[in-house]
Amino acid sequence: FSSHYFNLQCNMILQKLFKYSLKSIFGYFTMATLTRQDLNFGQVVADILCEFLEVAIHLILYVRDVYPSGIFQKRKKYNVPVQMSCHPDLNQYIQDTLHCVKPLIEKNEAEKVVVVIMDKEHRPVERFVFEISQPPLLSISSETLLSHVEQLLRAIILKISVCDAVLDNNPPGCTFTVLVHTREAATRNMEKVQVIKDFPWIVADEQEVHMEEAKLIPLKTMTSDILKMQLYVEEKTQKT
Amino acid sequence: MSRDGWRKKASEDDGWGGRGGYMAAKISKLEEQFQKDAPREKQKDGTSSCIFSGVAIYVNGYTDPSADELRRLMMLHGGQFHLYYTRSKTTHIIATNLPNSKIQELKGEKVVRPEWITDSIKAGCQLSYVQYQLYAKQKSLNFTSICARGKQDLSSTNDPFKPNPSHPQSDSIKNGSCSIIEEDAERPRVNGIHDGDDDDACALLPRGSQDTSLTNGYVHPVNGALKPQDSFAEHSPHVVDIGSHQSHLPQTESRDREEPSCSSAGSKSNFHQRSLISTASPAKQPGLHSMQKDLHPKPTSNPGTSAAPQKGNLHDQTRVRLNGSYHMTPNSSNLADSSHQPGRSGKGAEAGVISEFFSHSRLHHISTWRNEFSEYVNALQSRRRAAGGAVFSGKEKLKKLKANCSSGSLMAAPQVRQSCILHVDMDCFFVSVGIRHRPDLIGKPVAVTSNRGPGRVAQRPGSNPQLEFQYYQRKQKQYRKEVPSNGVDLDLAALSMAEIASCSYEARQAGVRNGMFFGRAKQLCPDLQSVPYDFQAYKEVALSMYETLASYTHNIEALSCDEALVDATNLLVELGVTPDDLARAIREDIKEKTGCSASVGMGSNILLARMATRKAKPNGQYFLRSEEVDDFIRDQPVSSLPGVGRSMSSKLTSLRVSTCGDLQQLSISRLQREFGPRTGQMLFRFCRGLYDRPVRSEKERKSVSAEMNYNIRFTQVEEAETFLTNLSMEVQKRLEGAGLRGRRITLKVMVRKPGAPVEPAKYGGHGICDNFARSVSLAQPTDSGQLIAAEAIKLFHAMKLDVKDMRGVGLQVQQLEGSHADPSGQGPSRGRSIKDLLLAKQPAHSPKKDPLAPQGWSSVIRTGVTPPSSPPSTSSDPMPGTSKGGLHHPHTLNHVRTCLNVSIEVPSPSQVDQSVLEALPVDIRKQVEQSWRHREEQPSTSSHLSTPPRTSSSPPPGPSLGTLVLQLPNQLGQPCTTGFILELPDFSQVDPDVFAALPRELQEELCSAYRNKGNTQAHVQAQSSAENVQCPSSSSTDVPETLSKFNPRPVPTLAGAYEFSDIRTLLREWVTTISEPMEEDILQVVKFCTELVEDKDLEKLYLVIKYMKRLMQQSSESVWSMAFDFILDNVQVVVQQTYGSTLKIT
Repeated sequence: FSSHYFNLQCNMILQKLFKYSLKSIFGYFTMATLTRQDLNFGQVVADILCEFLEVAIHLILYVRDVYPSGIFQKRKKYNVPVQMSCHPDLNQYIQDTLHCVKPLIEKNEAEKVVVVIMDKEHRPVERFVFEISQPPLLSISSETLLSHVEQLLRAIILKISVCDAVLDNNPPGCTFTVLVHTREAATRNMEKVQVIKDFPWIVADEQEVHMEEAKLIPLKTMTSDILKMQLYVEEKTQKT
Repeated sequence: MSRDGWRKKASEDDGWGGRGGYMAAKISKLEEQFQKDAPREKQKDGTSSCIFSGVAIYVNGYTDPSADELRRLMMLHGGQFHLYYTRSKTTHIIATNLPNSKIQELKGEKVVRPEWITDSIKAGCQLSYVQYQLYAKQKSLNFTSICARGKQDLSSTNDPFKPNPSHPQSDSIKNGSCSIIEEDAERPRVNGIHDGDDDDACALLPRGSQDTSLTNGYVHPVNGALKPQDSFAEHSPHVVDIGSHQSHLPQTESRDREEPSCSSAGSKSNFHQRSLISTASPAKQPGLHSMQKDLHPKPTSNPGTSAAPQKGNLHDQTRVRLNGSYHMTPNSSNLADSSHQPGRSGKGAEAGVISEFFSHSRLHHISTWRNEFSEYVNALQSRRRAAGGAVFSGKEKLKKLKANCSSGSLMAAPQVRQSCILHVDMDCFFVSVGIRHRPDLIGKPVAVTSNRGPGRVAQRPGSNPQLEFQYYQRKQKQYRKEVPSNGVDLDLAALSMAEIASCSYEARQAGVRNGMFFGRAKQLCPDLQSVPYDFQAYKEVALSMYETLASYTHNIEALSCDEALVDATNLLVELGVTPDDLARAIREDIKEKTGCSASVGMGSNILLARMATRKAKPNGQYFLRSEEVDDFIRDQPVSSLPGVGRSMSSKLTSLRVSTCGDLQQLSISRLQREFGPRTGQMLFRFCRGLYDRPVRSEKERKSVSAEMNYNIRFTQVEEAETFLTNLSMEVQKRLEGAGLRGRRITLKVMVRKPGAPVEPAKYGGHGICDNFARSVSLAQPTDSGQLIAAEAIKLFHAMKLDVKDMRGVGLQVQQLEGSHADPSGQGPSRGRSIKDLLLAKQPAHSPKKDPLAPQGWSSVIRTGVTPPSSPPSTSSDPMPGTSKGGLHHPHTLNHVRTCLNVSIEVPSPSQVDQSVLEALPVDIRKQVEQSWRHREEQPSTSSHLSTPPRTSSSPPPGPSLGTLVLQLPNQLGQPCTTGFILELPDFSQVDPDVFAALPRELQEELCSAYRNKGNTQAHVQAQSSAENVQCPSSSSTDVPETLSKFNPRPVPTLAGAYEFSDIRTLLREWVTTISEPMEEDILQVVKFCTELVEDKDLEKLYLVIKYMKRLMQQSSESVWSMAFDFILDNVQVVVQQTYGSTLKIT
């Protein structure tokens, strides 16, 4: 596998705090009635996954103290409390990023989605790796299946919210970035299909991908009919 | 265990006790047989004499020579041989060893070592038995022990009768009657005469005295004390030995109480009897008739009573005291009474009962025939192998027949080579054998059973049949809403509980079923005729059936005495006949040779053949074509599937599943959830007609066991121990017989369920029981009875049971290996491994596979032959033909005489020697060429298809790219286990080790095949039907494109466990029970962890590692810490390679 690494740089500087309505993001999926005919299963999975990743990224940013806790609000997702940023730019960035990730997931071309937390010198200190694999034959048969997936996702969310127990504290002034590990030659098409204008993918620096003396902490693995995903954290041994 | 009551009807008490009882009839019949056989035996042997005229022996327990041999000797030399001990008639007891309790009970008997007989024969005259006596000091031993025993009885026997304290007086009668029925059996003639009129008792005297005089003839001075008694007994019908009268005493005393006039001497016995009857008749007994029967043996003990005081020895005092206490516990007499009847297995505690039980349990006997026939088939095969070829008379005949009318009715051979299994089953075997010389019974409802009477018996006291029936009914209700129509019948209590071994189709129409109680059957079908067992004939017929089958092919698997599987695939190809023709020929042959009809079911696998047989019956044949399978199986009731017994089918019913079609609707995961992974998988496959076990002539034994749950009534712990010892001896005998040793001993105990009646409805049966089992593993495999006994007794004590409630005991020895130490080390002699642990946890119903040795799989992979099928022994069996390296070449394949389909990768054309190709048979060559062509047509577009080692088991039916399904002519004589199986084996049968050892591509492919099987059932069906249609083009077209991307991996398992909780249990057991881990186990764990990494299940890996860390570092043994470090190091390396960082273990 010759994986290419892409990276979205985020040079966010917090300036303003806005309220942000989440209605449009959360909960649109559950309303939809799924039938075999009018839904592309890959899309469904991508929707579910991106929705989840959005929640997860927000939560990670909160739990790992990347941004002050003041910009986060408590919400309910998957029937558990989660923290959601209220900063519009941050939210926009996350949304845009995931928007770009979605086509990859749809085609089962994303292998890993990594949330990298970096210190002031842009050296990664923690990497939250969502390793995704989809079964080739997708079939969504009933509602029970989806609720099952929801349970599994909830378990991961809960794991994230307590992961600080097993991780060392991050140094102050951290930022984050999202990396996507793609499978094979997915990049070729990516240039052509730019989902959002002027929001291109770039190849990640080697420095951001690799961490020296990292320790691996598995957090959660889920296996369902539509998706197999595991989340683990790679943590730098010496953070400061 | 519950079914076992079935076989043990030998001592069934039936309804016609009025004429002497079943036992009496049986004994006299046995005697007749003996008389009949004697001349024949004499003729055969030539040396005959009359040395032993007047001697009647009874063999107790193990002897050398064996009981059978002694029987023969007695035949030859004018003696008598009693299968059942009868005090009045048996003159000598032959035994080499008797346990204490037995010695205590056999008082006046002459217990003689078997050498007496052999030496007498050598000497040509009857020697004095004195020096052969087993216990020289029988006498003195007797008395002391008797007294001790009497006390024990009193103190220990109160409990069993507590439940009915309300009628203390009638109790003694009731209980008495219980035991006395047995006595009836021993003295049939006496009873027979007594029955009619009391006055007739006089007529007995001559006979009684005759017996006595015979007995007296051999009385030796040592037994002098018996003499007064013996002479006294001249007046009375029976000889009463001191031992028995001693234990009779309490009872007699109680009689005296009830009826003072009874304390008279035996000469008054007639009067005595009458008076007793008159007093007893108001008692709540079913009828006067049985009452009478019950009572009259009692007076026979009276003479003894009165004789005892005459002797006036010390023991009288003891006795008096005994009697005193007796009045407080009136029931104990019964115990004492019943316990002194050695002739009947009144108690499981008696030695020899076990071997006697097993040698007499007729159905047990029949069940062992299967092994015999298996051996017979094996012997045939090996003989043939040695001779280099055999004449199959039947086959030749069929060939000729075919040649004669090749133009006519028999069509040309179907060119498709399709595996065809024949399931040959005799039609209601016992019945048709039983009536083959009785044409008058043909067409009538007939049942084979031990009961020939009206099917009614008196209800025995202490039993509560209604309660038991209710219990079983309730049990059924758990699953079923409506109770089956043959549920409780209040009258049932009075019906005979002799079970029907087999009944004719006419009887079945009336609702009679095999295994039904005869009394009930008689109600359903009043015309029902009963036919006795005829074991000699069964054996003859069965043997000739097997001979007939063997005249066609030797690919036979013996299933039972009347059932066999025949793999006719190659036979059909060779002969070029249709399966129907073959079946017809076989059936005609069997009919001609045995006079009994057989049904034949045919199908492409064993399962289908068996199901077809159901349709074929009676006396027919049915060929289940592969294209009909779907429709056929959908309507089959689930209960027709093998392995679906009563409990499972009721469970299925609760899931609203009654037919296989219903079952097909359930997903595999559902089934596995309900029934466990293996059974679920099995059901899933079965209901689709999938079954991949080949016909195999040799079967590996999983366990050797002996169980007895008939007539187990212990009173003391010692008895149970003795019983266990004896049972162990029986197990030893069987182990030796099979040439095996085992390492795991399981003790199974049936204990009366609290609240269940003390006496079950079936006489001597076990009633409602709880089952308990415990097992222990030994360091070394053993076949020593002593060792087994020691362990069993330990287990027994650990269970802390009330011996009185024990109703059944079984000993099982598992983890067998050949008793001749196997140099190949195949047996688990290296110690206990994880797999053993797992095995012990789940009594595997599919054979456990030996992992292929590493060098084994590497070569297998190189040659492209999948070892998926796991016939376990591919690597371990020293089969010369299956050189693993040589399979890549079609030419070599031809030498490998496997009788199964072999699928191999076709090497590319450039690699094949043209001359070899030309040397191949035309059809095989064509296939090879075709597959090349095929390969060229479709360049490997996907990674899936280009994976180098192609397996036989890929989802596309028939040969897909690069694969060629070769079907080689069946080469007989090679055990099928060495073959390679085309069809995908049951997933549960795939050994995880083997699987893990495969290269990744192969694993993925196999897995996808399995997944595909589960997902797209249609494919599976197509596979089974298209398996033999050899058109490669039909296959690959309809394979979905997605398949190429489809590479799910197997769930990593540790010795079969994949749920974390299971793994945890396994690990815990591993670490806690073993002081020093074995290297292979550690490697196994490492492999499992590696698989987890590859499976991207780091979470589970993390949990497993953390759990192991906790376990192993806690362990006091430092080796465990080292083991953990080793495992962790290895895992970290893999994680590092995969993820670039190592696990954080805190």
